[in-house]
Amino acid sequence: MMILRQVESRPHLSAIKPRLHRILSRVVAISMIMFAAVPVLSAPAAAQEVNIYSHRQQFLLQPFVDAFTAETGIKTNVVYASKGLAQRLLAEGQASPADVILTVDIARLSEYADLDLLMPVSSPVLEANIPPSLRATDRRWFALSKRARVVATSRDRVAEGAISSIEDLADPKWAGRICSRPGSHVYNRSLMASVIAANGMAKATRWAEGLVANFARRPQGNDRAQAKAIFQGQCDVAIMNHYYYGKMLVSDEAVQRDWAGAIRLVFTNQDGRGNHVNISGGGVAKFSPNRQEAIQFLEFLTTPKAQQLYGEVNFEYPVNPAVSPGGMLQDWVDFKSDSLPIERLSELAPDAQKIIDRTGW
Amino acid sequence: MVAAFLSQWVRVPARRVDGWSVGVVALCLFILGPVVALTLTAFGDSGGLWSHLVETVLFRYVTNTLMLMVGVGVLSCLFGVASAWVVTRYEFSGRMFFEWMLLLPAAIPAYIIAYTYTDFFEYAGPVQVALRDLFGWQRPADYWFPEIRSLGGAMLVMASVLYPYIYMVTRIAFRLTPASLFEIALVHRKSQFWSVGLPLARPAITAGLALVLMEAVSDFGTVEYFAVETLTLGIFNVWLGMNNIVAAAQMSLLGFVFILSLLGLELYARSHQRFSATSRSLAPLRLLHLNWRGQLACQLTCLLPLILGFIIPVAVLLKYALSDLMRGEIIAQLQVLLPTMISSLLMAAGAAILIVVISSLIVLAAAYRGGRLVRNLALAASTGYAVPGTMLAIGVLIFAGVIDRIYGALISDPRQTLLLGGVGVLLVAYLVRFQAVGYGAMVSGIRRLPDNMMNASRVLGQGFGESLRRVILPLLRGSMLAGGLLVFVDVMKELPITLLLRPFDFETLATHTYQFAKDEMLEAAALPALMIVLAGLLPVVLMNQMLRRAG
Repeated sequence: MMILRQVESRPHLSAIKPRLHRILSRVVAISMIMFAAVPVLSAPAAAQEVNIYSHRQQFLLQPFVDAFTAETGIKTNVVYASKGLAQRLLAEGQASPADVILTVDIARLSEYADLDLLMPVSSPVLEANIPPSLRATDRRWFALSKRARVVATSRDRVAEGAISSIEDLADPKWAGRICSRPGSHVYNRSLMASVIAANGMAKATRWAEGLVANFARRPQGNDRAQAKAIFQGQCDVAIMNHYYYGKMLVSDEAVQRDWAGAIRLVFTNQDGRGNHVNISGGGVAKFSPNRQEAIQFLEFLTTPKAQQLYGEVNFEYPVNPAVSPGGMLQDWVDFKSDSLPIERLSELAPDAQKIIDRTGW
Repeated sequence: MVAAFLSQWVRVPARRVDGWSVGVVALCLFILGPVVALTLTAFGDSGGLWSHLVETVLFRYVTNTLMLMVGVGVLSCLFGVASAWVVTRYEFSGRMFFEWMLLLPAAIPAYIIAYTYTDFFEYAGPVQVALRDLFGWQRPADYWFPEIRSLGGAMLVMASVLYPYIYMVTRIAFRLTPASLFEIALVHRKSQFWSVGLPLARPAITAGLALVLMEAVSDFGTVEYFAVETLTLGIFNVWLGMNNIVAAAQMSLLGFVFILSLLGLELYARSHQRFSATSRSLAPLRLLHLNWRGQLACQLTCLLPLILGFIIPVAVLLKYALSDLMRGEIIAQLQVLLPTMISSLLMAAGAAILIVVISSLIVLAAAYRGGRLVRNLALAASTGYAVPGTMLAIGVLIFAGVIDRIYGALISDPRQTLLLGGVGVLLVAYLVRFQAVGYGAMVSGIRRLPDNMMNASRVLGQGFGESLRRVILPLLRGSMLAGGLLVFVDVMKELPITLLLRPFDFETLATHTYQFAKDEMLEAAALPALMIVLAGLLPVVLMNQMLRRAG
């Protein structure tokens, strides 16, 4: 046995080595090809560039980065993901290549601020272009566009003026007639937070219970799907972000234009606190390697040209008070929006999620 | 292929520590790194969130998850086992055709099939429109139609694309069952299926089922779209809604425990049974002939899963892609998609090669060199499959962040990264996630070899490495290819990890599809989605060739 062991241990070492070498060299060669091939696919790095982590989809962001590059010659690189970019930034720490963070919804934006992932920016341009209520007091994040979460009602089956406040949706007379996407979606969570801010936890909980009791179907789909459900007659009232209406109106797809044609938008609480609004926004990453370009990019997004683009690309409202929204948006611009400091929405988000969990929205 | 996931190993006397086992232990620990990182996160303070969760949603999450597991498990076993049985035991027209077609649903991502099913079965979809025309109904209130976006819908949709995991392995198991055993059943007037086929195929079915259940528990795309409140959906609500990554990590581990206890149960139930899967049938298994009624039954058995898992989703996608073609936009779209397609293929091929090499090293060492430690680690290293993709990606981020910091300190440039921000971190993440697939393929391959193959070679004077190269590896070529192809298809479909970890301006077909599908723009998502399916077809056909040879 002893002898056998000795005999077997020697040749196997010498036999493995060349084999391992071959395997290893192949692995190395393959990975070299992989690593070499992938950068080739994207364009070579320019002298000046800005790296963007975006929660907004690529096709929405593309017109802005194209316009920015055309104007400044600064190249942009984008990573788009809807979830977890903050964790990525956290893991990358000092080594992070990210310069600009773009998100939708204040709750996500302040998550970055809370995790200390953004740096304070002093920019006279940003301060001039964005009203103080729409940027962080510590200058770490800035709103870039506004969106209203409105009520959509059926043109055929709901009389104009039947709903005037968001609180009306809890009225039992709408039993079996309301559609919504799941409450846990960030848009609904912020809406819930605005109701808590206005009415307190107890009343807000009762409101959510009433709303859930009125649902025509289990909450599902996205905002567009709610308009579709009204068109199909599954429900008469829905909650949605205003810009989906515009996007459906000009859609290439005839069916989507039909969905839009079936609904009427109601801006709520016009006699009271105003309609709930949320923002899309951004900030400069704490360890940004190209911070000049990053600030330049944010400033660009608040210029009249880019602010108009928000309306043209996605029917969103400008934050820059000097800019009037173009086209179709003009018709819906005169509404009163909730003046609640936007930061409150993110502070109340965990409470909002608790109500949503409790009521099963 | 993934058979014998849980099976007992060939018994080998305990060995002293050598380079192989040390290297493989290190490799396994590396693969386990992200899961460990996630576990460590779970040890943080969740700020008393659990009492809220227990009070409100946890029960719902857990029951929904369990029901989803049961529903998907039962349905995919029905689809997979029944179709595998008829194509291996009966002769009927179209058998050869069904044999490989039945694998096709494996090429369709679960989130895509969810979108297409909604399009197909919802109020404005072709099914309900036809029903309304037929019966003269006018409004939704006039009739009842099952809601596709529901728990039941999620079960159906997931089972329709996941059953091939069971079909693949069960088919091999049926084919390897000695014909003599079936003959004994015939002689004794016992059911060939219930008394011979099924009991002997049970380890294989379990192995496939394990993969199916892991996929079902970790799925996010389908349950989000159907708004089915499972644990995975809850993880995201807690993480993103309540900014509580700790509680989210804890919930991920809970899901993990579900899977492990399930697998443990099966192992326990089987612990007193012993099969010898190595006995080859001397006489080839003869197919049974049927009258036309029997043939029709066989055809329907095969047709049902095929229609559900492939024909319906592809038809819906084709409808949209063709309307692009009509508008003459298809050329422009293809130009945009070409680089995306290339990066998808490169990543999938790279990950497949990487995983095959690494799982071969691990499994060979575990089989011929390792003691209990190596074997347990090898099994543990394949558990990344049961963690929801995005949570696993966060584990990978934390783990890669640590490595990058060490690297930065070593070269004293904290801005340099080794992994993060490059394709390297993606490959690591794919390795962690899909190691289970490669591992399963290799283990089942090794299990089919006679126990004494290695010993025989060593007695004849070959060293260990030489024996591997000249005897074992050639015999495992099929398993390696099978594992590689499965990984390839899986990576082509992979979404959440790629989305979060990818480098700048890096798109795969899956991420490109997602940005449109997410916004309910199925028309823009159709073409890239079809390309994912198309890219999965060739591996699926190749796999079938191998399955056939395996029999």
